[in-house]
Amino acid sequence: MSTIQDFSGYSPTWCPGCGDWGIGASLKSAFVQLGYDPSSVYVVFGIGCSGNMNDFLNAYAIHSLHGRAIPNAIGIKLAQHDRPVVCVVGDGDCYGEGGNHFLHAVRGNHDITLVVHDNCVYGLTTGQAAPTAAKGFKSKSTPAGIVESAVNPLLLALTQGASFVAQGFAGDVPGMVSLIKQGVEHRGFSLVNILQPCVTFNKINTYEYYREKSYKLEESYKSDNLQTAVSIALKQATEEKYPLGVLYKNERAVYTDSLTQLSGSTLVSKNRFTEYKKIVTDYI
Amino acid sequence: MRKRFLWKIGGEAGFGIQTTGLMFSKIATRMGYHIFDYFEYPSLIRGGHNTTETLVSDEEVTTTKHEVDLLVCLNKATYILHKHRLTTSSIVVYDSEEFAIEEDTFKKVSVPFKQFLKKEMALIVMMNNIALGAALALIGWDLTILNEMIEEAFAKKGPEVVSKNKKMALLGFDHILSNYSQVVCQDFPYRQMYKQMVLTGNDAFALGAIAADCRLYCAYPMTPSSTVLSTLAQYAQTVGMIVRHAEDEISVINTAIGSSWAGVRSAVGSSGGGFALMVESLSFAGVAEIPIVIFLSQRPGPATGLPTWTEQGDLLFAVNAGHGEFPKIVIAPGDIDEMYMLTAEAFDLADIYQTPVIVMSDKLLSESHMSTPAIKYSDWAQNYVPKRGKISGDTKQIQNDPQKTQAFLRYAVTDDGISPMLIPGKKGFFYQSNSYEHIEDGHTTEEAIERIKQVDKRSRKNQTYLDTHFKMPTFFGTPASSTIIFVSWGSTKSVLVEAIKQLEEKGISAALYHFTHLFPLDRAKLRDLFKLDKRFILIENNSHGQFGKLLEQETGVHIDEKILKYDGRPIWTEEVIDYVINSGVKN
Repeated sequence: MSTIQDFSGYSPTWCPGCGDWGIGASLKSAFVQLGYDPSSVYVVFGIGCSGNMNDFLNAYAIHSLHGRAIPNAIGIKLAQHDRPVVCVVGDGDCYGEGGNHFLHAVRGNHDITLVVHDNCVYGLTTGQAAPTAAKGFKSKSTPAGIVESAVNPLLLALTQGASFVAQGFAGDVPGMVSLIKQGVEHRGFSLVNILQPCVTFNKINTYEYYREKSYKLEESYKSDNLQTAVSIALKQATEEKYPLGVLYKNERAVYTDSLTQLSGSTLVSKNRFTEYKKIVTDYI
Repeated sequence: MRKRFLWKIGGEAGFGIQTTGLMFSKIATRMGYHIFDYFEYPSLIRGGHNTTETLVSDEEVTTTKHEVDLLVCLNKATYILHKHRLTTSSIVVYDSEEFAIEEDTFKKVSVPFKQFLKKEMALIVMMNNIALGAALALIGWDLTILNEMIEEAFAKKGPEVVSKNKKMALLGFDHILSNYSQVVCQDFPYRQMYKQMVLTGNDAFALGAIAADCRLYCAYPMTPSSTVLSTLAQYAQTVGMIVRHAEDEISVINTAIGSSWAGVRSAVGSSGGGFALMVESLSFAGVAEIPIVIFLSQRPGPATGLPTWTEQGDLLFAVNAGHGEFPKIVIAPGDIDEMYMLTAEAFDLADIYQTPVIVMSDKLLSESHMSTPAIKYSDWAQNYVPKRGKISGDTKQIQNDPQKTQAFLRYAVTDDGISPMLIPGKKGFFYQSNSYEHIEDGHTTEEAIERIKQVDKRSRKNQTYLDTHFKMPTFFGTPASSTIIFVSWGSTKSVLVEAIKQLEEKGISAALYHFTHLFPLDRAKLRDLFKLDKRFILIENNSHGQFGKLLEQETGVHIDEKILKYDGRPIWTEEVIDYVINSGVKN
């Protein structure tokens, strides 16, 4: 049985009060509670304050390029589909730079879990507007207010057919632990979008803001209805009402299920193919 | 005296010209001859003009020739575009009811294609079968092999489709024997011959990758690399490979980086534009020391360029691709045998040096067929053993406390610049691969001394490679006794090997330095090669003489005399000979 300590690497360099602290702690707790150790879980980090967690978390990991964690994670999963693969990414990272990968990973129902630090800003580059920033958000790169309307990650994932869509709040560690665990245990693409206050560069989407505007989905909420989930996700944009919990979940075949090549073993542990004669005849 | 026969067919795009060409090439090899074929087509699915030509010979052939011996014109454009390649002994097959040919300086054979189609109520795509039947009759072959191929190709579509296709071929065949028996060629009777495979460069890359135990191939379609994707996708289940057609080339290379990190040999393929999108990630693979093989099949750029034509215009781009400084190996096969062997070597080099290896091709090599002994490939594949260098799932040599997990020193500083790579998953260990500069265990660093250690470590791979795996150019002809030495790389080999033969017949002694291992280059060893007092001629299918520049940059060797061609067409043997004899630069 591993401990939080086993997963703890360097001391984090996040700003005091940053929402990333809670997310980092929740990830470690979730891994411990799932019975993982640093050798059994694979993590791919993007670039940003979120990605800097690479040095604070012990695991087989890749600290990737900005925006590219998802395809790295897909490749890992294809090679070793018996292992849990988690992406720790930011909103600019995966809804901006890597937006195309997000869209297509959802379509493929690749069995990876995306933990997104959604703070509406680019923290590491000192505070430009991110794709999730609300229309009109003023920042260094948008001094007159951002012209574009915000990406709605929940709605985007739902409408593209994501099989697990959840949202957490960085001020609620127990809630995040539960969502991350459920996301990792879910077979299929799982999005855990985390509302994360950036105490340094975002004076709008603060802890207070989210405490006021977010609400937990009720115990009785049924997460199997796509229409309901879509209408709740829509309200996030129209009424600034942020749902917390598992918004939608369904079971369907994951990408690797359709690959008969993987029916006997993982790609990395398969025997080498050597029956070349089967192929040669096609070219004669 | 060797015998050579060039068959060429042309017609509207979308009429199956390429398939017809491949069938003809396979029939020729089964009749006991060697072939080279070359396919030209515009970047269109319908309309435009497609041609394919197959050179048949009793000796090995590596390129085509100028004079067409049998030209099959499915429309007038074929005739107009190729009449300058006809001689008095050429045969032209056409439909005199469709268009007239005034000229009388060659043998004319009229086949009523349209009338046959109408009479049989056959689809227009079946015109190819009439043409093939007629062509086989004219070269003196029968329909046995073609009929077998038709049965194989159309078995799933039912006996009616099979018999209709056979019937059309027979109509063309009988028409020749009944009306033109006096022009039938007698020079190519059936010969006993070992079994030959008919492969394009792309096929050879795919077969090389399969032999090399590549387990993941990821790509986004881009001419002229796309058939690697389709070929490997077709074999994926048989060989146990995963083939992913990802959403874009950035995803392509990052998928492969992920799977390679997780321990499986991985490759990607594209042409220049798609490769351009991969470049940031190439640098990532460089610093994170993740093995990856990149198949780069060139076409003329810039940008969309001439998508279906050929050029060697991306060499310096490949060599310089990626921001920052990291080791990279660039190799370029010159023909199909080199392609499958060097592809497997590329996987070895990627693993041994834990860095990107680029295998360069171009449209000419990627899409032209050549024949090669089947036994040569299967024996080679059977004997090939992957060399994975310091990659292992094993940590026996490392002492560790079984109660505790420990950081594996993924980037341990070593004399040869190569660190042991543990395939992730081993209990008791963990590590991270990092796109940031890092210390030996993979943690991020900005310390000057650690930075220098890791830069130096990675750079040492270059010297290790030059000492261990760099290969000097292959010689063709006898450089020491030749007056001319051609210097070239990649697909131009096929033309220059033929040019040397033909120059020899004209009493001119020429040799070739054929470079396959293009980067990095060994300065000391290469300088010696150019100390000979010879007429060196650089030959490249581009306008900047990119290999010449690279050679000069890396070795100080300057080659003044150049033959450069950049109109999208391959360099032809006759152009090289013409240049050498007349010594005028001709593009």
